Amino acid sequence: MTPSKTAAPTRLLTQVTGERQTGALVVGGHPGGAVYILEGRVIYAESPSAPGVGELLTSSGRLSGRTWQSALDLGTSTARVGRLLVEQGHLTQGELELCVLGAAYDAAYFALAPASAPVEFIGGATHWLGPVVHIDPAAINREVRRRCRMLDEIFPDSRVDTAAVSPVARPPRERVTLTALQWELLVHADGQRTPADLALLLGKAGYATVQELRRLAALGLIELPPAPGDKPEFVRLPRARGTAVDAHRPVMRPDPPVVPVISGGRASLPSGPIAGSGTVAVPVLTSAAPISGAAPVNGGGSGGGPAVAPGSEDPPRQPAAEEITNHGTVYRPPRLARRKPGAKLPKEVAGDPPPVHTGTDEVLLKRIRTALRALR
Amino acid sequence: MPGVDHCLQQAMAIPGAVGASIVDYTTGFPVATTGAAPNSDHEAAAAGTAEVVQAANSRSLFVSAVPHDLLEDLIITTAGGYHLLRLVQTDFDSRLVLYVWLDRLQGNLAVARRRMQKLADDLVAS
Repeated sequence: MTPSKTAAPTRLLTQVTGERQTGALVVGGHPGGAVYILEGRVIYAESPSAPGVGELLTSSGRLSGRTWQSALDLGTSTARVGRLLVEQGHLTQGELELCVLGAAYDAAYFALAPASAPVEFIGGATHWLGPVVHIDPAAINREVRRRCRMLDEIFPDSRVDTAAVSPVARPPRERVTLTALQWELLVHADGQRTPADLALLLGKAGYATVQELRRLAALGLIELPPAPGDKPEFVRLPRARGTAVDAHRPVMRPDPPVVPVISGGRASLPSGPIAGSGTVAVPVLTSAAPISGAAPVNGGGSGGGPAVAPGSEDPPRQPAAEEITNHGTVYRPPRLARRKPGAKLPKEVAGDPPPVHTGTDEVLLKRIRTALRALR
Repeated sequence: MPGVDHCLQQAMAIPGAVGASIVDYTTGFPVATTGAAPNSDHEAAAAGTAEVVQAANSRSLFVSAVPHDLLEDLIITTAGGYHLLRLVQTDFDSRLVLYVWLDRLQGNLAVARRRMQKLADDLVAS
């Protein structure tokens, strides 16, 4: 096993295939991938940016998820999933070979295109699909270089390949002619899905997707991504949300909360909060801040004991809100203002609303669905 | 069970066949080749093939005049030979075309076209 190092993936491929080795060339980085080699010949490749054989066959409806899954279950351990599908009559040999060839070249492009990436060679590794085709590694290297060149001839901006796709709102010309795949891409582009998401969602080859997107960019039909970032982002991490509020330890806040608060009973006020006369359109919040002694919200002196909020007489409702812990200390959760049905939590308790995006979720759900169907 | 290589062997058995290949026409890349190629360069021939198919598919009005009227064959005749392109329809996503180069004197266009139709169908039909 070669230790992971940064090198040109194509060079390492040439090296290990020249030595007629068997194993997997794993390319890190974004999008990364793996090229599987059997005695110096490439038998398969996979990459997160290119749908694999299973995705191509099931998303097109050629194979049911169940058929695919049962072939996986039966054949993974012995690395003959491909042969099983043909032997059981689900696919013709021709279909299998064409599908594997297409998927392998597609993934090889994404895995091998970077000029330098962390690569390592894992000797002896095999792929569960089994040897279906044997590809000359020199042909793969040539093809990868040619594909890179072709993309740059269409539109020389590689940001298009990775950024989330958003169609322009108004086309820059009177008449627009699209290919079928371009149409599908535009219809499914929602500003969140990346080219890899779209390829997986539609079951189209990753390179063909990128190619059509470059053409669309050349036509001015998709928004160009903003100024090049430092690194392409293939995985969108969930947006950072507001700091979580610990349910058992009221927040220490140096400043009073922003939510309009009229605390439960200023000494000067009569016992009923103003909300009692609630004819105002603006929802008046009563005692949104924790007001019990355990919650020194307004207390400026943090050095001393817990500052008692002025007029912390509790209304007699919610006596059960108090908890007595093992240590015997009385805990009162921060009392929230009474809200109208359906109203949102105050900002400091609820944090930011969860980010809404459907791109990857939909793909994930689709995969789960496929897996569940297989179990039926 | 016919595989890709078998399909190409059969294509070479067509009377007058000089060379044959299966080409991915989105990328212009020869998935499988056998026999001779124009200028002895299968890759250049495949790139050219892809351009022809794309031109017919996207820039002409012959195709898609009617919904579901898909491109089947492209036939180019030259003084010395016939170049036949037959689209291979797979259920999964692929854009493949079967290409056969025939010698003009020995080849028979009608026979070759029928044989290629059968080959392309057998390749993917169970």
